[in-house]
Amino acid sequence: MGQKRFSLMIALVVLVILAQIGVVSAQKVTLTYWHGYNPVETRHFEETIIPLFEAKHPNVTVEAVAVPYDQFYQKIIVSIAGGMVPDLIRADLAWVPQLANLGVLVPLSKEMVDFEVYKNKVFPGTLEPNFWAGEYYGLPLDTNTRVLFWNKELFSAADLSGPPATFGEFLQYAEILAELEGVWGYAEGGTGGWNVLPLMWSNGGQLTDDEITRATGYLNSPSNVELLELLVEMLERGSLGPSILGDGFSTADGYAQGRYGMIIDGPWMVSIFADQYDDFEAQMALLPSGDGGSVSVVGGQDIVVFEGSKNKEAAFDFIRFMLQDEIQLSMAEVGQMPVIQHLEESSYIQEHPFYGIFFEQMKTARARTPHPEWPEIDRVLGNAVTRVLMKELTAQEALDEAAQEIDVLLQ
Amino acid sequence: MDGGYYRSKQVIAFLVPALVFFLAFNTYPLIEAFRMSFYNWNIVRPENSQFVGLANYMKAFSDPIFWTSMKNTVLYALVTVPAQMALGLLVAMFLNFNLPGTKVFRTIYYLPVISSWVVVSLLFRYLFNGEAGLVNYILVDLLQIFPSYVSWFRNASTALFVIMLLGIWKGVGWSMVIFLAGLQGIPTELREASMIDGASSGQHFWQVVLPILRPTMGFVAIMLVIGGFNVFTSVFLVTGGGPLHRTEVLLTYMYYQGFERLNFGYGAALSYILGIIIFVISVIQLRLFQKPVEM
Repeated sequence: MGQKRFSLMIALVVLVILAQIGVVSAQKVTLTYWHGYNPVETRHFEETIIPLFEAKHPNVTVEAVAVPYDQFYQKIIVSIAGGMVPDLIRADLAWVPQLANLGVLVPLSKEMVDFEVYKNKVFPGTLEPNFWAGEYYGLPLDTNTRVLFWNKELFSAADLSGPPATFGEFLQYAEILAELEGVWGYAEGGTGGWNVLPLMWSNGGQLTDDEITRATGYLNSPSNVELLELLVEMLERGSLGPSILGDGFSTADGYAQGRYGMIIDGPWMVSIFADQYDDFEAQMALLPSGDGGSVSVVGGQDIVVFEGSKNKEAAFDFIRFMLQDEIQLSMAEVGQMPVIQHLEESSYIQEHPFYGIFFEQMKTARARTPHPEWPEIDRVLGNAVTRVLMKELTAQEALDEAAQEIDVLLQ
Repeated sequence: MDGGYYRSKQVIAFLVPALVFFLAFNTYPLIEAFRMSFYNWNIVRPENSQFVGLANYMKAFSDPIFWTSMKNTVLYALVTVPAQMALGLLVAMFLNFNLPGTKVFRTIYYLPVISSWVVVSLLFRYLFNGEAGLVNYILVDLLQIFPSYVSWFRNASTALFVIMLLGIWKGVGWSMVIFLAGLQGIPTELREASMIDGASSGQHFWQVVLPILRPTMGFVAIMLVIGGFNVFTSVFLVTGGGPLHRTEVLLTYMYYQGFERLNFGYGAALSYILGIIIFVISVIQLRLFQKPVEM
């Protein structure tokens, strides 16, 4: 081998090595983001939002994973156990205290330099669930609440002019609607807190005391007992659909197909109805108000970063991006209600066909018990309601028992 | 011997890939789960797990849902195993006549076996839906056998009935194929011999065919019992163990304890209890079916 050739080879090798170092220094970062958006939202997020972010941050690639919502929490726990966490996730606000308690989340208020800016921009009520043991572990990403959806065609078939305003009217309308052939007046999708708390609260009931120390004397109060007895009667008479026990039509399909006169649901449903039922127009109204007023439940998602992430700064950039006005408004088009306070005054929201009702409902809506044991409390509550509806226990027995169990969990 | 050493080196080379997978995905988890079953296992920080001795095993015996799931699992095996065997044998015998169209029917009976559990479980859920299901429509509107729609999934017994029906429907084809192979292995001379001896076809079946099929039946029974005790996907997807854990089987309850309640120690203990049960039953079955055929 000639001297020349040898030195040429050395030069080549050096070049390759240098090039590699260059590549490393400008290395592309991949952010893994689990979101659990529904199919309509996912399409918009992947086709519109991510490209915008990647255009602004050319060295960052976002790998979005649409994890099915009902398996999301399990999957995230398993990946924590396996030490293979995504960089960040869109987490249900009810999960954040638990995840923070496990010590796997980055305290944003400590590590994100401009956290205060965002803290002051969002609705205080949406920020609160992110607070755990002195720090904020997430920022709100979207918010929602449940309002009354009423089926206009069924209402006019039953000679009802508009949605019920009071709890009494609500019950009465449910009976009237159920007289139509193959129709149930009202349908609910389950027996957990998300499902039954709006009814309990509006009826003047509570789950626990305000300090969240005990459920006995609150959950098993006369008004909650009365409400459950009412639901049992309605289920028997056919004014409450079987979907509350997981049978029959799902609430959304039953509602859009003219089987359920009224359901209670969130803003994301509107784009789903538009996607799946061409000629159907959803009608929304505030929850009927009872002794407790018109009180719905606050839902929503937070964005949190995992301690295991190697790209925390890029993850923070992604959070900043997702909380920009334009992005928040863009996601609003597919049913994600913005969390930025001043957007409520924006012309988009002001002129929006139905966000007004949701923002109005939000003013009196309450959060599910912010407690790390919430999933367990929710399970106890759901089982109690199920057992009452299956007529295994009386409302009083079931709620007394559940209240005692929850007392133990709260200690 | 040189050749022997060379040969064993070759054999080892062929074994290693499968062995590595087996050790990593079967043996290691097996040992790890055994260890977990003695701890109050902390999923996020395993080093903080608390040793509790046999407490997880003791807990199972006083856990009413464990007993419900045990009862359901045994019931599932007791109903679906004989049903699959009887129907499988029946179909195999018809197909063994070699009538025209046999191949088509064989494929049709085998189709459920190769369809995905997930797909057929969801299908059964739709078919048996209380308001919109085809089964209720046929039973009530079309044939008017029942006065009103049955809410199949609202109580445990009807829900379990649907799950068992699904298990039987999906499994018949598999035992059919095994029995068919067994039947085709019986020499035709035996049929001629028993005809000459004046045996009726019933006698021929009970006295000749069944004894010869005994090892086949043993194999089918053992495999089906193991499968029956391992029932998971159908229950998980059709009822999710609900309502109120009434249709829970051992594996769904184990999954619930592990992945929903994050009690991995207890879940691991449940899996070992299940493993012991299957082991004991299989040993008994092997003893029963391995007696030599008396002819």
